[in-house]
Amino acid sequence: MIDLTKANHHLWKEIMEEDAGDIRRCFNCGTCVSGCPAAEAETPLMIRRLVRMVLLGLEEKLLEDGTPWMCVTCTACEEMCPMGVKPFEVGLAIRRWQTRKDETYIPLSTTEVFQTGHTQPVEKVGELRRSLGLPEIPPTIAKFTELLKKFQAMLRETEIVKNNDYMFKE
Amino acid sequence: MRYGLYLGCNMPAIRPDVERAMRLALPILGIELVDLEGYACCPAFGTFPSADEIASLAISSWNLSIAEEKGVDVVVQCGSCYSSLRMARAKLLKDEEKRERVNELLGIAGKKFEGKPCTRHLIDVLYNEVGTEKISQVIKKNLKGLKAVVQYPCHTRFPSEVLGFDNPGRPRMLKEIVEALGAEVQHYSRELQCCGGSGGFARQAYQDAVKFTKKKYDAMKNETQPDMIVVNCITCLMYMDKIQKDLSKEGEEFSIPVFDYAQILALCMGFDPKEVASISVIPRDKIIEKITGAMS
Ligand code: SF4
Ligand code: SF4
Repeated sequence: MIDLTKANHHLWKEIMEEDAGDIRRCFNCGTCVSGCPAAEAETPLMIRRLVRMVLLGLEEKLLEDGTPWMCVTCTACEEMCPMGVKPFEVGLAIRRWQTRKDETYIPLSTTEVFQTGHTQPVEKVGELRRSLGLPEIPPTIAKFTELLKKFQAMLRETEIVKNNDYMFKE
Repeated sequence: MRYGLYLGCNMPAIRPDVERAMRLALPILGIELVDLEGYACCPAFGTFPSADEIASLAISSWNLSIAEEKGVDVVVQCGSCYSSLRMARAKLLKDEEKRERVNELLGIAGKKFEGKPCTRHLIDVLYNEVGTEKISQVIKKNLKGLKAVVQYPCHTRFPSEVLGFDNPGRPRMLKEIVEALGAEVQHYSRELQCCGGSGGFARQAYQDAVKFTKKKYDAMKNETQPDMIVVNCITCLMYMDKIQKDLSKEGEEFSIPVFDYAQILALCMGFDPKEVASISVIPRDKIIEKITGAMS
């Protein structure tokens, strides 16, 4: 049983951003689920269910729900939704809300991108790159220390880094 | 034709042979590549876009501002880089408030976003700017006698309103540029199924993801006889190659060589396979020998 007296009726306003369309138009048709790769998991990602949770204000349940992180970002759902909702963006908006509420949701990869500019160690494969006839370090931010400093200074002014600065190391 | 070459993170670190293939092959088709010095992660959807939208848009526009300074459009092979950069630009052009905030942030680094440069996927550039005829004309070797299946990167199909260039429901451009190299492209019922390699699915529920991908490979195996799979996205490339080992477990074997388009293009142009196609899980030697040995 869901106890709606404990629900947060403003949840949808807290979570939803304009880019995700108007989720109040969702009529639960399931199109966003039928073509979704991650809906085939044993604990499936089901955007239509997440939309209901947001609209009903089931804050606690939603905060515990890890399925939005299974999205493969194929964006097929966004093409298909007949109501102009953007299910992919709904998933991202829920992730962002979760990271605001609970810092353990913050993907470690954000701290890597902050620290190095990348999700992969592009500056550490010099030998392989050289053997292929490529410069050891690609011409990315990894090659330009001064630029990386500026990049980090810029990100220091964003909410996520300001609010969790202990996680973001230079 | 001048384009800023946006490599992303995976290609230069894990599959730099694809980078080499692009750098060698594209100029032969009249595409001048300009390095986008100082670019960072696009950012990938699992990073800042999942944590802070403004930070995410600031990083995308950091990248686009480099192309803007150079006065070039951007060309990209990775599907999710393409989608991330494209969607960020669309959002910023639509939303003045976000654009202002992002420009405040960029200002800290001495940069500015105006939104001029457009991000183009390599398939789009090859098909629509270069054209299949030119591709067929410049190659020295070809793929005649080889059968291929193709994998369209999802991130180049949806949402078509923001980033589409092919027919999202019935794409054909990758098939046609592969055919321009002489291969026969075969269709199968699950051709348009996502590879499943991007994002959290394979990371959080690997066994389920393997099952999902197995359906695709079963259909491929039952309905076609491919000598190779041709992709044009770094995630499709790494995932569709690597996963065959795990699909092969229960007595059944899957070992279909996977190539990026730039790699077979470079091979057909006569470039050294040791430079342009040397990294893979499933061995590709037989196909490479066939291509390098064949005269057109
Ligand atoms: S496709 Fe759109 S309307 Fe249908 S359930 Fe999904 S979000 Fe709701
Ligand atoms: S973008 Fe995410 S939620 Fe939408 S269909 Fe793809 S995996 Fe599913």
